[in-house]
Amino acid sequence: MKKWFFLLLILIAVFIEVAFLGSFRIFNAKPNLLLILVVIASLSFELRWAIFFCIIAGALKDIFCADAFCLNALMFALWSFLIAKLSREITIDNYLVSTILVFFVVFFSDIVIRLVFAYSGKYVPLGIFLRIAFLESLYTMLVAPLVFKIVKPEFYSSPFA
Amino acid sequence: MFNLKKKSLAYFFGVILSLLLICGLIPALRAPLLNISEYPLKFLALIKNELSGIVFYHRNFVQNERMKKEADLLRQKINTLREASLENARLKNILRFKQNSSYKVIAAAVIGRSPDSWSSIIIIDKGSYNGIRPGMAVVTYLGLAGRVIETTESTSKIMLINDPDSGVSAVGQRSRQEGLVSGTLGNHLIMRYLPKDADIKVSDVIITSGLTDKYVKGLLIGRVVEIGDEFSGLSRYCLIKPAVSLSNIEEVLIIIP
Repeated sequence: MKKWFFLLLILIAVFIEVAFLGSFRIFNAKPNLLLILVVIASLSFELRWAIFFCIIAGALKDIFCADAFCLNALMFALWSFLIAKLSREITIDNYLVSTILVFFVVFFSDIVIRLVFAYSGKYVPLGIFLRIAFLESLYTMLVAPLVFKIVKPEFYSSPFA
Repeated sequence: MFNLKKKSLAYFFGVILSLLLICGLIPALRAPLLNISEYPLKFLALIKNELSGIVFYHRNFVQNERMKKEADLLRQKINTLREASLENARLKNILRFKQNSSYKVIAAAVIGRSPDSWSSIIIIDKGSYNGIRPGMAVVTYLGLAGRVIETTESTSKIMLINDPDSGVSAVGQRSRQEGLVSGTLGNHLIMRYLPKDADIKVSDVIITSGLTDKYVKGLLIGRVVEIGDEFSGLSRYCLIKPAVSLSNIEEVLIIIP
């Protein structure tokens, strides 16, 4: 995959998230397109490039979020590193495993965010947190095959698919 | 001759009687006959329709295509007009608020929302060039919506009151009971730090207290829908249904102090 094309995809995903996904929320949860791209980047590029793309994606997300601290940029880079390491241990280069991986990545990201909230004194009731975290993970997992199909069609020709 | 006449009379009376009999019977027979003939008639009408459908297939097809196009066009026009009408109503409300309000306000349209699910932030199309500064209160004609947290030259970020990071000093309009209203990311806001003997009831109106300079006094926040005790047991909280529908704001007003 061309690097400039992936950068363009990140930009498009950010604009879709900011401008359109607000209308597709289910109980305040919306699909996390950028985390899907993080998974794809980690499986498609060399580690240094993957981390570079993930930092860009996280930084762009942080620009539109309220937190001054660049939490997403750091978290995306960390996910990229962990997924790249994991892909050396087990085969995740097919769309089914990657889709399940997306679910867990989004869910654990939400848990990290919850911990940061707790640390910074923000109050989100546990019920609401679990509802949003689960729905967001599920929603993103359901959207992921569509993104894979557009960005990484070779997943579908994998013998494990 | 007499015989002929007699025969003719007999015929005549026979005909008259038959006619009378038929006339008397027909109304009684009409309903059952019509009932019996309903199904054959329906069947024949169906065959006729099907035959005319086959015979006039091309004409019907062309007509159907044309009507489909017309229906789509009309549906689109209805949608456009409905959207214009809704926008018109919203803008009228904003204009009325602007005219009646004692504050100086700037109207702005929402152009984006926070990309994550963990904050409630909107982006508007007015910025520092239009006189907007961080900390200014944001309202709609229904009540308080949030406050400006960041501005660029032409855009601003607004933290809505249902963001967990938001805190608004508020009072009950009836009892003047003070508390801190913050967001929960859910449908309701939470008013915390109420004393155990707080005079607060369901459906009480909650307004801004004006204790901080961020929000002017008296802006409507919402109504109390539930009251409960905090986990610690030391204080109480109440859930508030916000007056503004925060999930679908399209236009806002920024209050210039």
